[in-house]
Amino acid sequence: MSEMAPTEILALGRIIDELDYYQLLHLESGATAPQVKQAYYSSSRAFHPDGHRSADPSLKAAVERISKRVAEAYSVLRDPRRRQAYDRKLGNGEGRRMPLAEAKAEATRSTEQRDGKTPQGRQFYRLARAALANDDLDGAARNLQTALALEPDNQGFKDEVAELRHRRIHGPR
Amino acid sequence: MGEIAIGIDLGTSNSCVAVLRGGAPEVIPNACGETTTASVVAIAENGAITVGNAAKANIIHDPKNTVYSAKRLIGRYFFSEEVKKARAICSYEIVDAQNHGLRIKIRDELFSLPEIAAMVLREMKSIAEAHLGQPVSKAVITVPAYFNDNQRQATKDAGRIAGLEVLRILNEPTAAALAYGFGRGLSQRVAVYDLGGGTFDISVLEIGEDVFEVLATCGDTFLGGDDFDDRMIDLLADEFTASEGINLRNDPYALEKLKVAAEGAKKALSVDGEVEVRIPDIITRKDGSTASVERTIAEAEYAALVNDLILRTFKVCDEALQQAGIIARDLDGVILVGGPTRLPVIRRMVRDYFQQDSKANVDPDLVVAMGAAIHAASLANSSQEAYLLDVTPLSLKIGVAGGLAETVIERNTPVPIEQTRTFTTFQDYQESVKIRVYQGESRSAEGNELLGEFSFTGFKKAPRGQVAIDVTFEINADGIVNVTAADPETGQQASTRITLSSGLSESEIKNIIEKGRTEDVEVRANAPAASAPPAAARDIAGDEILPMDDDPVAAAEELVREAPPLPSADSGPDFEPIGGHVLIPTEDGVLEPASNVGRKPAVRASAPASAPAPASTPAPASAPAPEPPPVAEADLLPEAPMDLTDEIELTDLEPLDQDLTVGIDDELSDIELSAEDVELSETDPCLDDVDEARDGSAKEALFERAGSDLSDPDAKD
Repeated sequence: MSEMAPTEILALGRIIDELDYYQLLHLESGATAPQVKQAYYSSSRAFHPDGHRSADPSLKAAVERISKRVAEAYSVLRDPRRRQAYDRKLGNGEGRRMPLAEAKAEATRSTEQRDGKTPQGRQFYRLARAALANDDLDGAARNLQTALALEPDNQGFKDEVAELRHRRIHGPR
Repeated sequence: MGEIAIGIDLGTSNSCVAVLRGGAPEVIPNACGETTTASVVAIAENGAITVGNAAKANIIHDPKNTVYSAKRLIGRYFFSEEVKKARAICSYEIVDAQNHGLRIKIRDELFSLPEIAAMVLREMKSIAEAHLGQPVSKAVITVPAYFNDNQRQATKDAGRIAGLEVLRILNEPTAAALAYGFGRGLSQRVAVYDLGGGTFDISVLEIGEDVFEVLATCGDTFLGGDDFDDRMIDLLADEFTASEGINLRNDPYALEKLKVAAEGAKKALSVDGEVEVRIPDIITRKDGSTASVERTIAEAEYAALVNDLILRTFKVCDEALQQAGIIARDLDGVILVGGPTRLPVIRRMVRDYFQQDSKANVDPDLVVAMGAAIHAASLANSSQEAYLLDVTPLSLKIGVAGGLAETVIERNTPVPIEQTRTFTTFQDYQESVKIRVYQGESRSAEGNELLGEFSFTGFKKAPRGQVAIDVTFEINADGIVNVTAADPETGQQASTRITLSSGLSESEIKNIIEKGRTEDVEVRANAPAASAPPAAARDIAGDEILPMDDDPVAAAEELVREAPPLPSADSGPDFEPIGGHVLIPTEDGVLEPASNVGRKPAVRASAPASAPAPASTPAPASAPAPEPPPVAEADLLPEAPMDLTDEIELTDLEPLDQDLTVGIDDELSDIELSAEDVELSETDPCLDDVDEARDGSAKEALFERAGSDLSDPDAKD
């Protein structure tokens, strides 16, 4: 990211609420973890408050706003669970920001949601968990897919499938 | 442009100052040529202040008026475990102050911890100015990464009191990583293992050429080299009790000698396989004869003695690696920081744990100050060759119903960051909204550190539930928390008052600066170092004439002359073992090789003491402030007095039996926290909280309850 002119920074500061985290970091929605990190580094170089200490107050304020949003974007996009929750929100048109603590709250699902409503669903979920404990990601994925097929509305299963897919592609966070 | 800014490592036992010159960091030696200066302050009867090794030597003569390891106390509450422990073993008197803060009592005066720290900072400032030949007013000051908001703010206050513009409060491990990787274009993952005098930090960083990203940081602010010394003291004292039936810990002079010996032994064991501790005539028996301590300790025995302390550090390392999402094998390097990491037992165990040797060519005593100097230069000149992307070490939480705390910003989140929560009122025409802010990892409020209670007013008055207040929690690059509130519709800021905070208020700080008690040390460094102190006047009998008290400079010089400074054992290259024996303290507090005991110690060069401050009286209680002004973003400190009863006055339009505190309420539906955020059923009443809050005096009880177990390090989720 080349040096940004003050006018550009001020403009960005004004429209920042209209950007989602991907747009802010210049990322595609399918960006990999290393790409997310590099984008964070690039943005930090451009917008770190330390580099603008002697700027005039309005520029400083814009830089601060942007750098905080960059930190927030990175916190969400680098965490698979949060990123999933965020992607879902974006997909549902629920806004471009997400409280950092929200993914945690979402993660506290009811037991029913998490372990399955139906006996078969629960059974395959248990098998999936056992496979995970043995580092058998493929086995876990198969069992989870089956569980999801039995309970297509189970959000918990959907989340786990997505997380597992992410893990298998990108490795642990 | 071209302004000089220094980096100061304000350590528990020793401090170090450095500056960037010619593109490289340079440690600045003090007047005695030492690269580190003891973080010890001695205050003489006439008010003269001595800082450094000269003050350290004073511990044995005048333990009640010599303050050391102040960093273990700064920013803490009086009732915390660390303070309780200090009160049991420190030679100086620790008393409680308003709002559960603490003061050091020296004779009739009360000193806050920021003031004591300011005295050390002034000394480091003076050292830099003497060496650079120009005034210095800007500095980066380092703190343990695991320091909480109270501790950081208190350190920043200390800088201000010392006449410094604090450009940044920088985490020590980050500073060390910066010094290690600056200008080297590295692409590495490193761990910084930082064991100082009073704290342990582990930070895991990713260095991407010019970017230094902290992935995770963890620590233990109750664990340091001082604890290692305590083990040695226990060993020596317990053995002595067994053989002599006398508990040396009960005698302040004996205890101080034990401390000096323990510290000396630890340092000697960094270079020798065995040390002999001998403290002759440490105490007098009932029959008038004197008893001595004589003990040989091998490195293996010492290792066993401190083994569990070292294991504690690795528990913290486990946590940091887990938070960073990596394992030890993923690391390209380990950097050791802090004098105690010279101990062979630590180096062995670190090598085993991380499966690699630590990086050579890193001086564990100097690297933090060097990193601080690099960063200070870049901040002062707004020129960035390196980007520090640090994190907040502790989760930021707010108090919610049922005595619980809910996370707003998780630990290891990159800073600066902010998050906004919307609150609403639950009383019709409610005047103020109060929230309690904590830092820590405990689900229960009590298990965390209370930063303060924030009270917001100035929003529109309406029936319950119809008023929304956006509360914004911000953590800046210093890791310092700022809480503001605004009307979400108009964006207008609400007025903020902060109570229940243990730190110094803005008016208290101004008073302290005005009184100028900490300024004495400035005079010291400007005077040339004496190669030999002036000879004492003697009368015809050849006895020394002690100087009169109204000649304070001479009195202070006398103090320094009689107590030659201890060798600076913390500057690695200067420390030399002497024949494999430990240096043992003599009557004068000098560490002598065992074979030299009995001979007169050589007088070492030392800078003359400063001119004293005028006798000062304790600070008057700050007068109650008028209606608090609109909140300035950076100013967290309350203008208003800390007296809790004032809180009630603010809301006197309502009958007192209405609880106006949001968060301490049994009707969760009125608060815009979604129910699943809080792991308890909505029917869970918290009548205890409500009852106590009604009565002003019982608010103390509320705070007590919140505060009683704050420092329990095991109170985790």
